[in-house]
Amino acid sequence: MASRIEIYSPEGLRLDGRRWNEVRHFRCGINTHPVSSDGSSIIEQGNTKVICNVIGPAEPTLRSRVLLDRVSISVKLVVAPFSTIERRKRPQSDSRIQEMCSSIQHVFEDAVIAHLFPRSQIDVNLYIVAQDGGVLQACINATTLALIDAGVPMYDYICACTAGMLDREVLLDLNRIEESAMPFLTMATIGGTRKAALLQLEMKVQFDRLESMMAAAMSGCHHVRDLMDNEVRKHGKSRLERGSL
Amino acid sequence: MASVKRAYRDSLSKRLTLSQKVFVRSRKGKATKVVQEHYLRTDIPCSSQLCPTCALNPPKDSSGTSRPFVLSSDPPSVKSWGPHYLVPDTNIYMKAMDLLEHFAAFYDVIVLQTTLDELRNLSLPLYNRLRALTRSQEKRFYVFHNEFRQETFVQRLEGETINDQNDRAIRNACVWYCVHLEEAVAGTGKSAPTILLLSDDKDNIKKAKELGIVCTTLETYVRELPQADTLLDMIVVEGDEDAAGPNRYSYPEYYSTSRIQGGVKEGLLHQGILKINQYNFLEGSVSVAGFERALLVLGRESINRAMHGDIVVIELLAREQWKQPSSKIVEEETVTKNDNPEDDMQENIVTAQERKALIEEARQVQHSSAEFRVQPTAKIVGIVKRNWRSYVGHVDASSVPSDAASAHRQSSVFLIPMNRCIPKIRLRTRQAINLLGKRVLAAVDSWEPTSRYPEGHFVRTLGDIESKDAETEALLLEYDVQYHQFTQTVLDCLPKEGHSWRVPADTSDPLWTGRQDLRDLLVCSIDPPACQDIDDALHARLLPNGNFEVGVHIADVSHFVKPDTAMDNEAASRGTTVYLVDKRIDMLPVLLGTDLCSLKPYVERFAFSAIWEMTADAEIVNTSFTKSLIRSKEAFSYEQAQLRIDDKSMTDDLTEGMRILLRLSKLLRQKRMDAGALNLASPEVKVQTESETSDPMEVEVKQLRETNSLVEEFMLLANISVAAKIYEAFPQSAMLRRHAPPPVTNFEVLADQLRVCKGMTLRCDSSRALADSLDNCVDPNEPYLNTLIRIMATRCMLAAEYFCSGTMTYSDFGHYGLASPIYTHWTSPIRRYADVVAHRQLAAAISYETLHPSLRDKPKLEHVCQNINQRHRNAQFAGRASIEYYVGQALKSREIDAEGYVMKVFSNGFIVFVPQFGVEGPIHLRDFGNPEPPCNFDEERYTLIFREGTDEETRLQLFDRVVVHVETVVEESTGKRKVALRLRKPLVE
Repeated sequence: MASRIEIYSPEGLRLDGRRWNEVRHFRCGINTHPVSSDGSSIIEQGNTKVICNVIGPAEPTLRSRVLLDRVSISVKLVVAPFSTIERRKRPQSDSRIQEMCSSIQHVFEDAVIAHLFPRSQIDVNLYIVAQDGGVLQACINATTLALIDAGVPMYDYICACTAGMLDREVLLDLNRIEESAMPFLTMATIGGTRKAALLQLEMKVQFDRLESMMAAAMSGCHHVRDLMDNEVRKHGKSRLERGSL
Repeated sequence: MASVKRAYRDSLSKRLTLSQKVFVRSRKGKATKVVQEHYLRTDIPCSSQLCPTCALNPPKDSSGTSRPFVLSSDPPSVKSWGPHYLVPDTNIYMKAMDLLEHFAAFYDVIVLQTTLDELRNLSLPLYNRLRALTRSQEKRFYVFHNEFRQETFVQRLEGETINDQNDRAIRNACVWYCVHLEEAVAGTGKSAPTILLLSDDKDNIKKAKELGIVCTTLETYVRELPQADTLLDMIVVEGDEDAAGPNRYSYPEYYSTSRIQGGVKEGLLHQGILKINQYNFLEGSVSVAGFERALLVLGRESINRAMHGDIVVIELLAREQWKQPSSKIVEEETVTKNDNPEDDMQENIVTAQERKALIEEARQVQHSSAEFRVQPTAKIVGIVKRNWRSYVGHVDASSVPSDAASAHRQSSVFLIPMNRCIPKIRLRTRQAINLLGKRVLAAVDSWEPTSRYPEGHFVRTLGDIESKDAETEALLLEYDVQYHQFTQTVLDCLPKEGHSWRVPADTSDPLWTGRQDLRDLLVCSIDPPACQDIDDALHARLLPNGNFEVGVHIADVSHFVKPDTAMDNEAASRGTTVYLVDKRIDMLPVLLGTDLCSLKPYVERFAFSAIWEMTADAEIVNTSFTKSLIRSKEAFSYEQAQLRIDDKSMTDDLTEGMRILLRLSKLLRQKRMDAGALNLASPEVKVQTESETSDPMEVEVKQLRETNSLVEEFMLLANISVAAKIYEAFPQSAMLRRHAPPPVTNFEVLADQLRVCKGMTLRCDSSRALADSLDNCVDPNEPYLNTLIRIMATRCMLAAEYFCSGTMTYSDFGHYGLASPIYTHWTSPIRRYADVVAHRQLAAAISYETLHPSLRDKPKLEHVCQNINQRHRNAQFAGRASIEYYVGQALKSREIDAEGYVMKVFSNGFIVFVPQFGVEGPIHLRDFGNPEPPCNFDEERYTLIFREGTDEETRLQLFDRVVVHVETVVEESTGKRKVALRLRKPLVE
């Protein structure tokens, strides 16, 4: 089956009609679940859809979690059984899910200004509603927006994007089929800077190609940052107009 | 295929519109819904040089380059439609790929993505050919991604089939192109070229006409072209379904795919590659894992439309129906002589003659008591993969209608392929008369159950039969040798300086880094006479500590051929240089092969050196590898080197060095033999050609001198050392060569033959045992017998193959023939691609350079191995076929008596091998008189007794020496000039 698909045509078009440096359609919403959480967001990147709820900063539920000098962040990730093509239930203890939780946790522990809330806890709950590649990037972006909505002070946006390498071609923002066909990395930058908050690569890539992949991923991150920033400002403006701030 | 859930403009990278492709896929019996994004864009260019709008902003790829516009501003013109761009429908690609590739027509073609995708699903090989066309610059084929362009995208309507949707998409794209081009030329005063839709789908044509699209069928279009007759023949014939009458006999239908898959899984059916016996076209065999011997497939019905090389699925027959392999020579030509190509309404697929041939055999099975000869027999029930390619052959003269009236009407003729294992192919052609006496290339299209023969179509003629050019080309085509000239992009990879390229004199030049200066060593090369591509050179000297230093220097091809360049890709696809008697088809451009890389004497050349320190007993003390610079002192032929070594008066250092090499090589050889290396033989002859006309003059048997084995020993040593080194450095991806031990059953027949006829034993439990028992197979009266047995033993072996070390376990790496645990090819990078890969890996292993990623990529290397194995085999076949042809030509006007040996005995003839010319050929009993003289065939004793006329009885046994009369005739079945043998007298002492 796979050999019958042309991932990247000689004319420079990908399976879904994008060119190498184009990200999928990006839609985000902020403050989507105002009742059930302190901050919430939804992210759609192509057909990947993630909802994020943030609760806190609040009193820790477990005493053991208390950090004396800073806020502790706990991430819970729920993958909906209907999110993939074939319906399948995944237990919370799934090691991939655990790993993603821990990556996200580490990224945001450094991104929020943690010392402002000692002895408190932030709960980040992520719900993956639909998967079409780039799940980790969508989770990170959603968390950023939800934390902003919750009013947690942060140093900057954390924005993530994937890039893959097919032979000699870099492709930006892979979908599910592309992810299975080539090595790819997920990168998260601190806002529009060139600082990386996360760089995750699970496959073998020739060392000299890594740089171009990172460069592409970084430009994708910056693009995502602008899109998120627009949404945040739009939302802020509308709330200001409503006078609900 | 696509239905839309949402379609909205969004804040994407650029202005793209999003649509969703939704379809239902079934996997493992479950239906699942798949949703894929589908972006629609407006920046896909029309690629016409007439269009200024699209040229303004051409899309760029990641390296920032944009593709040039393909479609010419001045497209070819025909009478009915004027200048036009062609838009073929998918069915045109299926039918007429050969036509599209033809140089005489079909330029400026717009390949729509819809049709390309459809073609990809229908046939991957055709898709690849079409892609190759779009890459070639001359043909001007442009792939237009109509499904990604907003204006030409179509949504699937309710109730519409996918085919209908695709057809609609094609029509839509045509309309868009018409309008777009009109706009493009508006105001320039030029007229836009017609967009001509080619389709053989009536419905599509009708609907296109309603939309005002200019369209036509393939045939009407081709008729407008010059050379219409030739071109029309190249269209693929479609199976004529209506022709099947109710009472017609037909081949059994194949099993359904699910039945085959299930059967194979449960072990009821077996899968394997069909091989047709070259002496009996009605007998095939399939090697299947799990069976010791190959399974037999007997008779036309059992073979069931499969052809030589196809991957087939077979079902075992009941034990009572098991047969033994044929003891008869059955040629297609004699059995099916009178078939009429036009008339397919024959009563039976299997003719009476064929039945007779089979029945005779069945009878013999019952007589024979040799239980081990009865083999499991099977019938073919399905074909997994066809091995169809283009076949070279000639048109059967008797099948061509003779009356002038039908000369230019379309008629059916038989093409008799050169390869005996391929059945006749039925062609429909309008130029039957012109094709007589020509070498013809044809492709097979289909083989319907109702048709006795496969259907094919004409591709082109190569020239007259027996003309040198046509025969050489036929041979190259038949063995799939890529013989076209190197393209400009390949030649662009050569050093700019051309022949005047020199090693930089300045030792601080970057080219010198990591390179050792070995110019002062006394290096020389020893090769066949007049060798131009000198791969290897040698040196040896005595070290102060009493040991010897021996060096093998190999042309540094990897310095010039860098990975992933056009030249590298070309070399990888050619795989090897092919040596024909009068011609060499190079793997690398001549500039490199015979000059810049070739280690010519008296000039400085880059080399890759393997240097050993050895004791006087040829024990290796130390091995090192380095990139180097050498200056060969002399290029010897084997003969010159031998003379120089033997000449006691020569005592210079170079000669002394060669003497050291010779002495060490003998020790190395002895060690190898002690380890169980095999000394095998193949019938090698050489054709002397006249230097000017290259007409063949004389056939001689190749002579082997000590110096041949000198070079060979050190090359083997170098290869083994390198193999160990690269395996150590890259255990997952080293390019190695292995020779698997042959299954014991392969030798069963030969061992039995030797036991019965000569009272000799052949043991084959290990290569050592085999080597020893071969040494003992000596008959003092028959000095040649040993060589003959070695030739026959060689044929029982498996072929050596290249492989990537990560794909096998270490225990499988062994080289059986050389009795070495690990082996590779490193010493001939000018003529073998495997050596180039080994060079690069070795260079990386000694940290001279970094390893290119493609040499680390296991799947890619496997792919390379597969290709070069195939090419290597084909090159050998092609070389042999070329010798065979020239031997035939050399003996054309002569008739000689020569000595020969009986190599095989059948019940109606025997095969004789003539060492003097390296040929073997059948002698039929029917040659001794009509009707066939009565004979007595003793299968267990491999003896044939017959009476010729009123003479006394002649008794022939396997391995007997005979005198045969050698002459050449043009063989009717293959059109080849072949050596024909007639028995003069058997010599039984």
